[in-house]
Amino acid sequence: MTARQTPADAFTAGMLRWFENHATHGLFTTDRDLRIRTWNRWLATATGLQPEAVIGEVLTDIVPSLAERGLDACYHNALKGHATVLSHTLHRHLLPCQQEDGSLMPQTGRIAPLVDGDEIVGTITLVGDVSERVVAERQLRAQIAAAEDARAIAEAASRAKDEFLATLSHEIRTPLSAVLGWVHLLKVREPDAATIKRAVDVIERNAKSQLALISDMLDMARISSGKVRLELADVNMTQVVAGAVDGVRPAAEAKHIRLVTDLPPGVAWVSGDADRLLQVTWNILSNAVKFTGDGGMVVVSLRSDRSGTHLTVADTGQGIDAKFLSQVFERFKQADTTAARKTGGLGLGLALVKDLVTMHGGSVEAASPGPGLGSTFSVHLPNRIESTETTAARQPLLPAETTLEGVRVLIVEDDPDAREIAMRSISDAGGMAITAGNATEALAALADSTSLPHVLVSDIGLPGTDGYDLLAAIRQLPNERGAIPAIAVTAYASDADAKMAMDRGFRAHITKPYLPSALVAAVRDAIFHRA
Amino acid sequence: MELNTVQHDALVELLNIGFGRAGASLSKLTQQRVLLEVPQVAIHPVTHLNQALGRLVDERVASVHQVFSGPVAGDALLLLDPIAAATLTELLTDVPPLSMDLDPSAREVFTEVGNIVLNACIGTFGNMLGVPVSFSVPDVDVTSVHSVIDRMLDSGEAFRYALVITAGFRLRDSAVTGYVVIVLTVQSLKRLLDALDRWQQIQA
Repeated sequence: MTARQTPADAFTAGMLRWFENHATHGLFTTDRDLRIRTWNRWLATATGLQPEAVIGEVLTDIVPSLAERGLDACYHNALKGHATVLSHTLHRHLLPCQQEDGSLMPQTGRIAPLVDGDEIVGTITLVGDVSERVVAERQLRAQIAAAEDARAIAEAASRAKDEFLATLSHEIRTPLSAVLGWVHLLKVREPDAATIKRAVDVIERNAKSQLALISDMLDMARISSGKVRLELADVNMTQVVAGAVDGVRPAAEAKHIRLVTDLPPGVAWVSGDADRLLQVTWNILSNAVKFTGDGGMVVVSLRSDRSGTHLTVADTGQGIDAKFLSQVFERFKQADTTAARKTGGLGLGLALVKDLVTMHGGSVEAASPGPGLGSTFSVHLPNRIESTETTAARQPLLPAETTLEGVRVLIVEDDPDAREIAMRSISDAGGMAITAGNATEALAALADSTSLPHVLVSDIGLPGTDGYDLLAAIRQLPNERGAIPAIAVTAYASDADAKMAMDRGFRAHITKPYLPSALVAAVRDAIFHRA
Repeated sequence: MELNTVQHDALVELLNIGFGRAGASLSKLTQQRVLLEVPQVAIHPVTHLNQALGRLVDERVASVHQVFSGPVAGDALLLLDPIAAATLTELLTDVPPLSMDLDPSAREVFTEVGNIVLNACIGTFGNMLGVPVSFSVPDVDVTSVHSVIDRMLDSGEAFRYALVITAGFRLRDSAVTGYVVIVLTVQSLKRLLDALDRWQQIQA
């Protein structure tokens, strides 16, 4: 039979059969009594209701939720000729169809009159599964939200940077203009002695303030990139605090601020980097002086107990708003960033304090009853690690805290000047230095059983056999000789170099130039912790 | 053909009844108070519609279109500036749109809203005339104003008139303005206006 001869009804019937079996939407019809007349395969799969179970039944009996949700009105409207669209957003679904994960299939619906000529014979409903769209939109929303968050963070960072640059420019220009102003005065007229003294004082003070500013910035940059390493030693915190108090005294006196110190009579020892702890104390103290008005008071106290060493700096200054309290240790943060602010500074000092104290295993906190009511900064540092048994064990070896009495150190260094510095560092601390200029001499020194060294201090860049290979060779030696604790002292200063030294069996990595106290501390640590 | 004052007032009153129903349906659906007002009605020959709408809406519009048939037959459209349409769907659903061109979900909501508003308007006419009116399933589009109008000019008789009704949605302290456009044959319009006159006399 050709197409020309096929009756039109045959095409319609074929199309309907196709919709019955293959449509990617749910499709059903009802008569005017809302009895279901057709129910396609998609619906049977989605609802689990087979056509034979539903055909002839009243729609609201098969799907009671339609009436419960007022959607039966759409069918009564359809019988009056009105078509209805049901969006997923406002209705979630038309027919409850449970999916594999237990959730209901998100759907859209279209309900329309079924018309034969001028007569409405029933209703037709089209159901669409929009799960994929819903998931895609949800993902897109999540992406948009993530992008907005990232943008907000970037904007905040950019604002902080702009404010910082504005502050930086102001802070650098202020001391420079004082310096240039006085230099100009000295040049244009014959100054008397008093003027010269005044000029030199002002220039010195401003140069120092700029130096401190630049140091803070460089320190911050180094801490950010993880390049600050603490030179650990036993530090007398009482001495550190006294030093810092002396440092800020001129500034306090200039503002008639009473500086009251309450230091313990004895010595408060902590394990740390003396220079960095001085920086911490000085930053907190100078901050207190900076934010305290004329005639105010700053009280510094230090206490040591079993829980640690506690430094407290309380002032009668401008105080801190509760809203800002949590941000005082953030970088570039000052409560008042307006041009009208009275105090200078980059807002780096306290951020540095926090980073340095954290590096020491300590904590720092700020407290204030509110604006105008002063503030208190407290630093808590852990006590030196010291257990009774280990103290007893090293007692004969290390009678004094800072000496290396009775300790023999083998120094392997090809550069004579560097060798002498290392030798003096050890002998000044009461230790005995045995020196070697290369790996061969070092191995020979270890062969002499009468004066077996306790610790090896070796350069890495040795001629011929380098420090790594030397240590590898030593580790092959029998007994105590092969187990000697080793410290690398080298100009290879990167983190990667330090890691390499540790990986190759050195227990410490000291970069040149170093302070004698750092080498002594490392040697003591090597003996103290020797397994 | 123009509306006289009596017809204008009667039409506004009648449309307000229809819009009141639509507002009630939307309130029930979204569980918040939605008001729909008819501040203005004007009548234009369909050939001048481009000009008339050009004054009201920007180049692009979001539209919901339905064909209605029966003794009174024609096309009904809800037209909103796409941003206003996105705002309206957001106010109704609390779901911010993903794009200013209406994402698929927002289009679907906008279609449902248009369907409710247009059914209420035309349904009111049908009730007044005491004749049944059938509607096609609505379709939605975001396109230029003139392509919406061109589509209308291409289909049906040339001599037709359009009722342009300003539709003000008020919800959550916000107002969104759209337009309902009902395009009628001369015959349908005349039937409607006659019915308006009769209805007005009965009311009086």
